[in-house]
Amino acid sequence: MAKFDYVLAKTMDDAVRLLNEPDLRSIPLAGGTDIYVAIRVNPIWFDRLVDIQRIPELNEVSMENDEVKIGAAVTFSHAIKNPILQKTAPFLVEACKTIGGPAVRNCGTFGGNVSNAAACADSLPALVCLEAIAHLRSSKGQRQVKVEDLVTGPHQTQIEPGELLTHFTFKAPPDSAKSCFIKIGRRKAQSISRLSIAVIGTVDAAGLVNYVHVCPGAAVATPVLFPKVEDVLLGKKPDKETITAAADRLVADMIESTGRRWSTEYKEITLKAIAERSLTKIFLEDGHHVN
Amino acid sequence: MLINFTLNHKPVSVDAPADITLLTLLRDHFKLTGTKEACEVGECGACAVLLDEELVNSCLVAAPSVIGREVITIEGIHDEDGNPNDLQRNFIDKGAVQCGFCTPGMVIAGEALLAIKAEPSRLEIREALAGNLCRCTGYMQIVDAIETTAKGRAEKRNQEKRER
Repeated sequence: MAKFDYVLAKTMDDAVRLLNEPDLRSIPLAGGTDIYVAIRVNPIWFDRLVDIQRIPELNEVSMENDEVKIGAAVTFSHAIKNPILQKTAPFLVEACKTIGGPAVRNCGTFGGNVSNAAACADSLPALVCLEAIAHLRSSKGQRQVKVEDLVTGPHQTQIEPGELLTHFTFKAPPDSAKSCFIKIGRRKAQSISRLSIAVIGTVDAAGLVNYVHVCPGAAVATPVLFPKVEDVLLGKKPDKETITAAADRLVADMIESTGRRWSTEYKEITLKAIAERSLTKIFLEDGHHVN
Repeated sequence: MLINFTLNHKPVSVDAPADITLLTLLRDHFKLTGTKEACEVGECGACAVLLDEELVNSCLVAAPSVIGREVITIEGIHDEDGNPNDLQRNFIDKGAVQCGFCTPGMVIAGEALLAIKAEPSRLEIREALAGNLCRCTGYMQIVDAIETTAKGRAEKRNQEKRER
């Protein structure tokens, strides 16, 4: 006797209908890279997988006017090769490159990474920096939630049973924006982030910071922006001292959020280092990322 | 449920439970045991196969999700006469096989790379093998085997061009 059933959704309407059939706990299946790991260690929490991998709209990356759209079933391999994302969100592309190995990146998807909502999820910090919006659909209708708000805790989201995460949108950052993603793992590939950081920013004609977002991964319970860190930088010349002050503020805010935990001794040093390194990279050097 | 797909270039049809992985389908239902079962969480690459020409870990692929698609396992990689192909011969020649458990996944990952990149650098080869663990060889011989194969295939292509 199979422990759960499987059904292929051919269209978005199909998927929403199947996910909302009564008396049957259905969940979406995209790449499977989290679900098939989870069911080895957890009791099975669903009756049926609704396979959304072949729904065309969910596999598209597109840009209309200034708005970039990423389908929930877009894989990390697809994103790495996509010219729209390479241009508008190079730090998101860099983050995708650090996920798993080639076989995992060929299957793993944005929708899965976000809805699995691991504290260390590698696509989340850049999506949060981009102020990405998650689009959800159910039989009751559609709603939009900021990715930063969608994730409510480790492995917890606002997504309701029967709701399908269909895509993400974000406003393309200005052409002058520079961004960076740094991941600290135990090895170069196939590694889970111990700590990561995504940063994006611009300076005005006078060389003063006029736009900046900072989002660390695996530092606090959910990936969030740190407005107090951004305030240290905004309106200032991003010199070495200012960057160090911002990094110190970030560490202080992390500890304020988590309290001093067993890992704090490591994380306070490491987070400061990657914050300084990433902010230096975007404000004082030319490149997009260091790893 | 009925699962119809193309397996090693042949159309196949099998009645299998909906909750199994592609790995279980291949090993238990088709008795294709060249695809290895090891970590079962996508860490080791021993179960790697090609799904629509892309490298995947079959332990993380829902068996029914391959309906209508094409799967190539290590049993589908060989010369036209059924003998080992150039990549497999180079694995032997370069000493890239010790215990052999990772070898099917390594060969599949090598073929996946060579299909999209004719002449990869050693770094690119290493990156392509990043999801395949080998506890015996230290990887150098495996990288050598793939590099030698890429060069051999490039040479063969050039020769064919010259002859035309």
